Amino acid sequence: MQQAQARRWDSWIDRLPRRVRRVIAVISLTGLPGMYAWSAFWLTTSVPKIIWGPVTFLLIGATLAGSLILYRFVRDRADTRANLDERQRQLRDRAMVLCYQVLSTLLILAVVGVGIPTLFLGRVVTLDATVVGAIALSATVLIPLLPAAALAWIEPDPPPEV
Amino acid sequence: MGRPTQRAEPVLHNRLAVLRTERGLSRQDLADALGVNYQTIGYLERGEYNPSLDLALRAAEYFGLPVEAIFSRRPFTPMSEQLYAGPGRSETAAH
Repeated sequence: MQQAQARRWDSWIDRLPRRVRRVIAVISLTGLPGMYAWSAFWLTTSVPKIIWGPVTFLLIGATLAGSLILYRFVRDRADTRANLDERQRQLRDRAMVLCYQVLSTLLILAVVGVGIPTLFLGRVVTLDATVVGAIALSATVLIPLLPAAALAWIEPDPPPEV
Repeated sequence: MGRPTQRAEPVLHNRLAVLRTERGLSRQDLADALGVNYQTIGYLERGEYNPSLDLALRAAEYFGLPVEAIFSRRPFTPMSEQLYAGPGRSETAAH
């Protein structure tokens, strides 16, 4: 009974259309940073704590649930040691290239974002423990998720069963 | 290694679906025979993935046909048309 239910879930996840997978990937990757941004915003406003809590849990839950779906969809296909056929290997390689492009873009944006105010505007950019903690936790959770998200992003819709 | 079909790339036409159906094979059967995932067979049949030379040759070997009988850069003429149309129709049909 439980196995049949698990198979139904697997089948549902395996057949997710690409559009839905892309939405899940975006939600998963933005949920956690969104939670930190929301908390930082909340500190500057008079929004009651009763609203802060549910929104925070919703954003964390989005990353958590999205990650589980993405990992389940991709399984071991993002793993470099997995036994894949030529099409799957090629998709995985394209996903890795996409990850590299996304990470290098983020890194360049971060360097420019810190560099311009420091070098040209003479401002001092300070990173306190909260910001470093947020960056560290987001990187720890999201960087390992990136290959699965990239693969879910580029994998075409599965052919209909005939 | 093969390449997933991009819009800018030419589509490689194939007769995999016809040959598979003709032999009463499921996608899984053909995938097992060729050593690929069953979804890869679906992508190949839909022309959404161009196989590597190795995979094309394995398919040709499996079906016992020349590779150009299975894969072509130009659309295939339907087999029924090849068999029953044209000047040699009556002779072909008689056999």
